[in-house]
Amino acid sequence: MPILAVVAVGFVLSFVVTERYHHRVLTLVFLWATMGLAWNIISGYAGQISFGHQAFFGIGAYVTVLLAAKLKLTPWLGMLGGVGVAVLAAVLIGTPTFRLAGIYFGLATLAYPLIFRIVMDYLGYQEVAIPMMREQPGLFMQFTEPRAFDLLALGILAATLVMSRLIETSRLGYSLRAIKENEQAAEAMGVDSFRCKMIAYMLSAAPAAVAGAVYAHAILFVVTPEAVFGVLVIVQTLTVCLVGGAGTLWGPIIGAAIMIPVSEILDTTMGDRLPGIQGVVYGAALMAVMMYAPEGLYWRVRSMLLGRTRRQVSAVRPVPAAAEVDAPAPTVPAAARPVLMDVRGISKAFLGLQALSDVSFDVREGEILGIIGPNGAGKTTLFNVLNGFLLPERGEVHWLGKSITGLQPHVVCRLGIGRTFQVMRLFPHLTVLENVMVGAFAHGGSPDHARASSLAALDLVGLADRADVVPTGLTTLDLRLMELARCLATRPRLILLDEPLAGLSTDGVELMAVMIRRARSAAVTVAIIEHTIHALVKLADRLVVLDQGRRLAEGLPGEVTRTPAVIEAYLGTRWLSRHGAPQHAEDLRP
Amino acid sequence: MLKISGLSVAYGGLHALEDVSLEVAEGEFVTIVGPNGAGKTTLMRAISGAVRGTAGRLEFRGRDLTPLPAHQRAALGIAHVPEGRRIFSSLSVLENLELGSYRRAARAQRAEGLEAVLALFPVLRERRQQLAGSLSGGEQQMVALGRGLMAQPDLLLLDEPSQGLGPRVVEQIFETIDRIRKSRRLTILLVEQRVVEALELCDRGYVLETGRVALEGAHDALLADPRVQRAYLGA
Amino acid sequence: MVASELTQYVVTGLLVGGVYALMSIGLALIFGVMRVVNFAQGDFMMLGMYLTYYYAVVLGIDPLVGALVTIPPFFVVGLVLHRVFLARVTGGGDPNREMDAQLILTLGMSLIITNATTMILSPMPRAIRTAYATQAFAVGPLLLNQARTYAFFMALCLAAAVYVFLTRTDLGKALRAAADDPEAASYQGINVRAMHGVAFGVGIALVAAAGGLLATYYPIEPNVAVNFIVLMFVAVVLGGLGSIPGAFVGGLAIGLVQSLTLLVLPLQLQNVGVFVAFLLVLYVRPQGLFGRRARTV
Repeated sequence: MPILAVVAVGFVLSFVVTERYHHRVLTLVFLWATMGLAWNIISGYAGQISFGHQAFFGIGAYVTVLLAAKLKLTPWLGMLGGVGVAVLAAVLIGTPTFRLAGIYFGLATLAYPLIFRIVMDYLGYQEVAIPMMREQPGLFMQFTEPRAFDLLALGILAATLVMSRLIETSRLGYSLRAIKENEQAAEAMGVDSFRCKMIAYMLSAAPAAVAGAVYAHAILFVVTPEAVFGVLVIVQTLTVCLVGGAGTLWGPIIGAAIMIPVSEILDTTMGDRLPGIQGVVYGAALMAVMMYAPEGLYWRVRSMLLGRTRRQVSAVRPVPAAAEVDAPAPTVPAAARPVLMDVRGISKAFLGLQALSDVSFDVREGEILGIIGPNGAGKTTLFNVLNGFLLPERGEVHWLGKSITGLQPHVVCRLGIGRTFQVMRLFPHLTVLENVMVGAFAHGGSPDHARASSLAALDLVGLADRADVVPTGLTTLDLRLMELARCLATRPRLILLDEPLAGLSTDGVELMAVMIRRARSAAVTVAIIEHTIHALVKLADRLVVLDQGRRLAEGLPGEVTRTPAVIEAYLGTRWLSRHGAPQHAEDLRP
Repeated sequence: MLKISGLSVAYGGLHALEDVSLEVAEGEFVTIVGPNGAGKTTLMRAISGAVRGTAGRLEFRGRDLTPLPAHQRAALGIAHVPEGRRIFSSLSVLENLELGSYRRAARAQRAEGLEAVLALFPVLRERRQQLAGSLSGGEQQMVALGRGLMAQPDLLLLDEPSQGLGPRVVEQIFETIDRIRKSRRLTILLVEQRVVEALELCDRGYVLETGRVALEGAHDALLADPRVQRAYLGA
Repeated sequence: MVASELTQYVVTGLLVGGVYALMSIGLALIFGVMRVVNFAQGDFMMLGMYLTYYYAVVLGIDPLVGALVTIPPFFVVGLVLHRVFLARVTGGGDPNREMDAQLILTLGMSLIITNATTMILSPMPRAIRTAYATQAFAVGPLLLNQARTYAFFMALCLAAAVYVFLTRTDLGKALRAAADDPEAASYQGINVRAMHGVAFGVGIALVAAAGGLLATYYPIEPNVAVNFIVLMFVAVVLGGLGSIPGAFVGGLAIGLVQSLTLLVLPLQLQNVGVFVAFLLVLYVRPQGLFGRRARTV
């Protein structure tokens, strides 16, 4: 395991290095890598950029040192107290703050360490010295041998690496990355995003607190608010992660291994003549990274090395002849099949605009239902209501006989309703298989179980040969198929496809249609929204036509395209009056 | 005046346009119709510079538009009245119109241009200090049209001016477009979903279907052609 | 509490708030047009303070005038910095990543500015000695520190000048259009990238001028930024991210909050009141008073 290798290297370095000063640098490298990994859990994996992680670092330091100073409690236990308080703080801070999005979240996290700093100053804890315990140095984490601190820090780093690894490969890790890419899509795939973010935040607070406690004992000896709650803490954390690469185990390690020695050595050699040289170095590093390698060194190097081999994925895939792979049409007519979803009288308004008015229809098992309508007809809004993203003002949605109106999207997904989105959001650093696994995890189970479902889904859409490829080089068609596979991996009974054919070439549309029919044969009912009626006319069993939020028509494709109201909706009243409704069926053979 | 040859546009991997060729002669009124998703708006955005083509050529008065960014194309005399109006909702009606004449060639004629636009849309004169975002849909469309005219354009691109508007307002808008055509010397390229209204006004038309040119012809020929319906409904 | 005492707190808060308002307008303009939170805003303010100090001590120019004279050089610096650094950061083509990357870039700039200043000039605080810094106007029972009063009025004048610029000039309107809808703005012939540069230049010029005004009564040292950057953020968020009149009102409000906090908390905890207000605004009404769009996931 690569983690063992890194730890072994660290271990060896600790023994190879002799000078006290170099041990200090080594300790710092391990500590900041740990802090970086902690930050990475919430900000790298989950994408919630926190500017306030130093709050936990400081809490860890202060609690541990105060417990030692006031209660003579050994820091080995005091650290646990620090972790406890930090995790509690994470819950208290996270609960209101996770409702905020984007920059608002980051700004809110900024406020907390500032408040803590002032409060600590005010409470008289401007300088809390660690009480010297010469009789029992080990018990009080006051090692005379600097190597001991290295190994302690290395131990913490190792533990954090293992924890990060476990997160990365677990369901939580996939859910976090889904949240980062597209929180809505993640919810639609069954991820309870608030819960996941909170767990991640709590898990990220613990190593930060431990790092703070060790930092106080190894480096500071006197804890001041500025030193542990101050800006330099978050700056070093950010730099280490952003230079190395966020969203991966190795990024913070690479970042720490590069940045910490450089800045420490500069500070020691030139810090007297040039106070603040550290800050300049960090600032320059951040600027350079953002300009030339914004994803961080790890990802940049990786894509350079791997891109060359993986990019040669052939873009042109031969479209299997329709007859070979096409699934036979079901024999029972739609009208006779049981109803899976019953949509009754849905009305939804936005800002005074009636997006949906009293829309009713049902979805029958095993059919491919097409929902069409001119622009602005309310189709996506309808899906958002069915999915749980929107609450209708009136009307209900029933699934298998029970009302699901207003249930949260991830709950709707777990009930068996899957969804794709118009704008595809893929996870660029995960392989195709891993992308699909995010969906598979909705039904719980182990990573192996998820892997099996995902491979099955990829197989169904014909992407099995691309399972280990990174998606950035794939064609739109393949990406759509991957999206379909991801949706199928949630083991749905019904899938809601939002414009799966848009922008595809004619061949692509054909292939996609074939795959949709395959899904239907695998006992998945399909409801599709499309603008382009053409393919739906051949693909769908039934069509529902919406216009300006109302249901205009419902029925077989041949009937619906001849309905005057539908012609009028698409081409205008005057066209209808000019051309009238077609009289003869022969005119319409496609 | 405008010559497009073999234009293909794919953005984010979506094939919006494939090998589209069309021409608009100086002084002509050309319409492009087609269902949603056909690529009409993408075509407009490719002409005005908001999106880049992946293949093909765009020429305006013989000049290759490809290296020019959007603001420079506007400076040449191409005015794009975008889909969904896209007026500056936090600015007043008057400010919106004034900004229409931002390009240097139009700035000198700002005062006369403003008078002409307000004469065309009298309701805007009353509302000129109001925030543009507070206007009704039809009024906003007037602002958008007026803003386009303020640029004293040589080529006016109109992207679905009837979108989201009620039937009576739509009639007014089309009447106004007709009036504009008759009172000024400019070339118009109109993209519309409402087939008949658009085809009646123009000289020639193209029908776009899933990113390709499906039909073209003189306006009366297209009006009588049932194949246009098939382009929309697939049957 | 006597009414006049309360009024004193309110008036002091407003006076100080005027300068905060000017600082915040700069931040709001940059955010409005570029959608970037400029972490370095406080540091440019600090540099403005130092330049004004230089004008005062070496050239003998009164800081109230010196503050105005910081505007042209900082505008140029802003244009250059945008062209050389910010415009080059694209975050890999994804507009969301672009904004995050530009934000981190400004953080990097902030670090470099603060620390380089510490390196080059000593960290020892300096002050500009003017006659009016220690005198006060007596208005009824109230005492108005003269420096703060002059700074307040200058700040108002500058804010008014910004208002005129944004509403009466073509360039100002183009800036607002670029903030409102960049694509539509480009259709009118507005070069949106150039507008970003102008916004950045004006934004830091304003905050530098505010720094100069601040220097009439506040000590100058390299780390002064950290005390004000959060005040600016709060003001801008309170007013509504991207709204310039909002930022102005927000700045005044924060001055008031800061001052009135002293009624309940000791001086040491004064900024806690501001930070708590910050959190309250973010939690209760993130779009602020005049915000147009609350940014969604």
